[in-house]
Amino acid sequence: MLVLAIETSTPQTSVALGTEQGVIGSTSLSWAKGHSEIVAPAIDHLLGWAEIRPGQIGGVAVGLGPGLFTGLRVGVTTARTMAQVLGVPIVGIASLDALAFSVRYSKWRVVAVSDGKRGEVFSAGYRQVPGGVARETEYQVGPPERLAADLEASGEETLLVGGGALLYRRTLESGGGRVEFASFSRAFPHAESLLELALPKFHREETSRPAEVVPYYVRKSDAEIDWGRAGRVA
Amino acid sequence: MRVLGIETSCDETAVAVVEDGHKVLSNVLSSQHEIHGRFGGVVPELASRAHLERLNPLVEDALAEAGTRWSEIEGVAVTRGPGLAGALLVGLAGAKAVALALDLPLIAVNHLEGHIYANFLEHGPPDPPYVVLLVSGGHTMLVHMPEEHRYEILGQTVDDAAGEAFDKVARFLGLGYPGGPAVDLLARRGNPEAVRFPRAMAGSGDFDFSLSGLKTAVIRHVKAERAAGREPSVEDLAASFQEAVVDVQVQKTVAAAEATGVGTVLMGGGVVANSRLRERMALEAEARGLRLLSPSPELCTDNAAMIAAAGHFRLVRGGRSSFDVSVEPGLPLG
Ligand SMILES: [Zn+2]
Repeated sequence: MLVLAIETSTPQTSVALGTEQGVIGSTSLSWAKGHSEIVAPAIDHLLGWAEIRPGQIGGVAVGLGPGLFTGLRVGVTTARTMAQVLGVPIVGIASLDALAFSVRYSKWRVVAVSDGKRGEVFSAGYRQVPGGVARETEYQVGPPERLAADLEASGEETLLVGGGALLYRRTLESGGGRVEFASFSRAFPHAESLLELALPKFHREETSRPAEVVPYYVRKSDAEIDWGRAGRVA
Repeated sequence: MRVLGIETSCDETAVAVVEDGHKVLSNVLSSQHEIHGRFGGVVPELASRAHLERLNPLVEDALAEAGTRWSEIEGVAVTRGPGLAGALLVGLAGAKAVALALDLPLIAVNHLEGHIYANFLEHGPPDPPYVVLLVSGGHTMLVHMPEEHRYEILGQTVDDAAGEAFDKVARFLGLGYPGGPAVDLLARRGNPEAVRFPRAMAGSGDFDFSLSGLKTAVIRHVKAERAAGREPSVEDLAASFQEAVVDVQVQKTVAAAEATGVGTVLMGGGVVANSRLRERMALEAEARGLRLLSPSPELCTDNAAMIAAAGHFRLVRGGRSSFDVSVEPGLPLG
């Protein structure tokens, strides 16, 4: 089965095409242009280079975040609409899950951390299980200091993976927890990880219809936060 | 030729199928007024989230209502600006995905051009040149079009847009959001001559507008009346305020047509749904022997049929956007 995977929850835009036999092709770019300018040309290039017609795509996998709202909207809208027009199922995967999956061989506890901007990080904790990782916390958003305190409190050896972990490395180390950092080649969730996580779901038919797939925002919009705080907007 | 249009520049998610640039096969939209109403204005993040959820079901509806299969669509037109960046992004990503999946030409359209081409939907293309009055929540301008797709801005607002003035005054009068329809409705029962509000820049000799002072004048008037122990009639206030806005617009549009020697006047934008503006402009155009075109009220407010129409007329001239086209929140007309 041919699957198109799209991941846009971080500054990196990543697109991959693949089947059960492996990745056919992938592109990742995290520089200069916005997600919107990269996603469609990247898909177009991959299809062209691989000489694959869009109609041959059997399913679309997409990273749902949590992460950057703007990127997520581009990726999720592209995935939903491609799936809708092609009449194929869609599988949404949490981007933090994809990040943790990329370091699944670690014996340590894994915490995936992505930059949430405004001095905050998105994070979730995972434990190794046969064939992958299992999430054992909610998706969270908060200042890195809070995550550092959690790591110290757990006292467990933890592997931190993701751009948010590298960005706040000093803070996360200073908590006194026993932490290690995955290298920068693992900084962003990759569409190839989505492919790998999504393929079994397509086979088990754990799929969604396009209109059912929405990003994990985790954080409310600013207006709602202000509204809740003040009870009204000035 | 059938073109799919997508519009998500502000707080309406809209999708349409238009044939040959003028025949509206379907024109569906989902308004977000219930989401933004309590905030008194459009909240960009909430608008973006709503667009994402509503776009795909609306695409389905638009095709079904048009009785059209994907194989019959020959182009995808989408608004790339001006508008809210996050909102525009959803429509653009969706349009690119359709074009990509079906190997169709993508045409990224200027929202303001859409408002102008809304006139072509019912009347077919009128012969240029035209003078266009564009009035909406974000814009108030007079444009000279010597030919199709050529725009010379004659003048525009130096502060608030007309729709913005309607919203602000409506909020002050406690009429809710959006303000335009509420003011229009109340004004029908009021006396437009009750209060003589200032006609800002009416005699300025150019084609610029200024609307921010008008709101202040309305507030000052109400305070003065209350200080004198009188409660002014909301109907009269609405009618008098509206008359001040309409007066200047009609006068400047006619002057622009005469200055450029153009015999055809088009109107476009959400404020053109205002019944008083339509009525006064029709009378003035008739008196001066000008041909006046305006879209029917439901095609004045934001919709995707106008985007499909504008896209159609670009496409037939070979216009086509590449997949790396980006949104342009401040996109100028031209
Ligand atoms: Zn508009």
